[in-house]
Amino acid sequence: MPDAGSGSPGAPSSESGRHGGRPVRWSDAWLLALRSLRRRGGRTLLAGLGVTLGTTMLVALLSISATADSRIVSQLSKGGPAAAIHVDDAYPDPGNLASDELKTGPHHDLNDAAVAALRSSPNVASVVTVLSTPVLVIPCPGVTPGPRAAAACRQETDGYVTTAVGSDLRRASDLPITLLAGRLPAAASLTEVAVTQSYLERVHLDARRPAAVLGSEVELAAPQALPGAQTRFRGRWSRAEVVGVVAQTVDQGEFLVPIEQSQAARQWSLAGVATRGLPRQTSPYSGLVVVADSLADVHAVRSRIADLGYATSAPEHLVASVQKYLHIVDIVLGGIGAVALAIALLGVANSLLAAVRERWREIGVLKALGASDGDVARWFLFEAGLLGLAGGVVGTVAGTALAGSVALAVNRYLVDQGLQGIDIGLLPAAWVLGVPLASALLAVCGGLAPALRAAGLPVREALGG
Amino acid sequence: MAAPLSRVETVAERGFGAEIRVRGLLHAYGEAGRLPVLRGVDLDVEPGGYLAISGVSGAGKSTLLALLGGLESVQSGLVMVGGRNLASLNGRDLAHFRRDVIGFVFQDFGLLGMLTALENVEMALSLAGVSRAERRRRAAELLAEVGLAGRASHRPTALSGGELQRVAIARALANRPQLVLADEPTGNLDEDSALRVLELLERLRAERGCTLVVVTHNQELAERAGRRVRLTRGTLQ
Repeated sequence: MPDAGSGSPGAPSSESGRHGGRPVRWSDAWLLALRSLRRRGGRTLLAGLGVTLGTTMLVALLSISATADSRIVSQLSKGGPAAAIHVDDAYPDPGNLASDELKTGPHHDLNDAAVAALRSSPNVASVVTVLSTPVLVIPCPGVTPGPRAAAACRQETDGYVTTAVGSDLRRASDLPITLLAGRLPAAASLTEVAVTQSYLERVHLDARRPAAVLGSEVELAAPQALPGAQTRFRGRWSRAEVVGVVAQTVDQGEFLVPIEQSQAARQWSLAGVATRGLPRQTSPYSGLVVVADSLADVHAVRSRIADLGYATSAPEHLVASVQKYLHIVDIVLGGIGAVALAIALLGVANSLLAAVRERWREIGVLKALGASDGDVARWFLFEAGLLGLAGGVVGTVAGTALAGSVALAVNRYLVDQGLQGIDIGLLPAAWVLGVPLASALLAVCGGLAPALRAAGLPVREALGG
Repeated sequence: MAAPLSRVETVAERGFGAEIRVRGLLHAYGEAGRLPVLRGVDLDVEPGGYLAISGVSGAGKSTLLALLGGLESVQSGLVMVGGRNLASLNGRDLAHFRRDVIGFVFQDFGLLGMLTALENVEMALSLAGVSRAERRRRAAELLAEVGLAGRASHRPTALSGGELQRVAIARALANRPQLVLADEPTGNLDEDSALRVLELLERLRAERGCTLVVVTHNQELAERAGRRVRLTRGTLQ
């Protein structure tokens, strides 16, 4: 038998030697914890399932709550950003700022200088220009009504005058627009328009089936008043395809068009004379949509716009009030999920306590071999952490899937009702990482009492002496 | 003042077993020590010695062994093992003492059921912070030394009693202890296995020079030891 210095298996090498206070390697502790969990497969499965269900419930409730919150706020802000402010080409009424509603004074031209001033203002994230112009509309030009015609053209519809709302569609995400079917017109397009549900009714279509209008054509005529004793108009005609159906509150009007179409129509009208029915549109823009950095900045931005001499409207008071209630709902739903998770963690603690009782003798043996109290505690805490982590990962996936399923069902219902669907967004990365880690951490907390109990066992007692 | 563990380590590295010196050892259980177990034990074992302790059940044999191995705190008296006064060690130091100085062999083997034979031996090395590759190598060599090279990957449920005890012996020797304490190591074995296990312990003691203390009921086995003592009602005869 070789002696200590010659590398006998029982002899200390320079590497292994006597290690004083060095604890068991983490990798070994994890491995031991994993083996212990595997050995108690049934109980591990049940405890892990508890954590999974708790996490699933928490994630699903928070996801549904967050989606509902954004949906409600989106509804209040008509589909646009919650911090959007409507600016009108008019001076503000003295009581304008105290109200969410638009309270206007006399007309005040909105020009590029005002737009530039707003864009350089603090707390302003975006400024989108709007120009509404009157148009004469002929639905389904050149189409003979009948059963063979497209759905929007089966019945005859007389021409009528309405308003085309022109917006900078490059910034459509900042506009209070809800897309119900199809898509928005391409930015700067002169041959594409989107219509509102009012147009569907006008062409005898079911507003709950907005897609039926897509692909049909309209002729739009920008009016120009001719000089003379008798008021006469001529039109600048253009033909466009209906590519989308929207609910919009950018301005009142049945058509949403790229602002380039409205600007061309305005130039055409300005070349004519002013009449009672068609006043000269001196303002380059009929309105603006200003988006503040956050809801908290809305009032300050409205004040600055008022200082520039323009009236505004924004649902700031309504949104703030509703958000308070939504916050309470969030807390309640989060609380329910947290209770579910807490119950699951009690399951983890219970499972580990049972494991301590079962492994009483093993704990004694480990201590007899030289395991410190810390080694034993770490063993049980790692088991708890593994249970929490595994349950947290599976629960996050399952919770997301559950929330997605609920959202799909709700979405289908909303779309069937002709309403805007809800976004089934991906779970934020912070949640994907944070929830399993938090679950593991909470499980470790749940395992603290069993771990301390195991660590504190007197060796002889644990060995059954 | 007690010598630091490093002093003990130096002794171990020279290949000597631990010297045992016990004086006036009293130990009792129950409230206010109403159940005395050891009533003034004095004992000396030279480094590398072989001591067998026998006695009837309840005589205090296992308690004496537990006190020598640092499994229990010394209540009264002096227990010196390898130059260490065990009464002066706190819980953490006692854990290090058990890991670095003592090798335990239990009657019921004390193997972890979730680990293979090799992993059970590795566990002792793992507690000493030995790297995975090194401890795997050393554990395999130890199993080969006790004749179980072919059973390394078996779990305890697949091993016979004699094999289990040999795995336990390999584990006890993993950190090259100065003192091996065996509590009824043959108590759960048939006569043939018991003899072979004891022979193995004796051979390893002789080769390594560690001190061996065996507690046994079996008078025949006890007589194999270089020195024998009998505990009767907490006192050594």
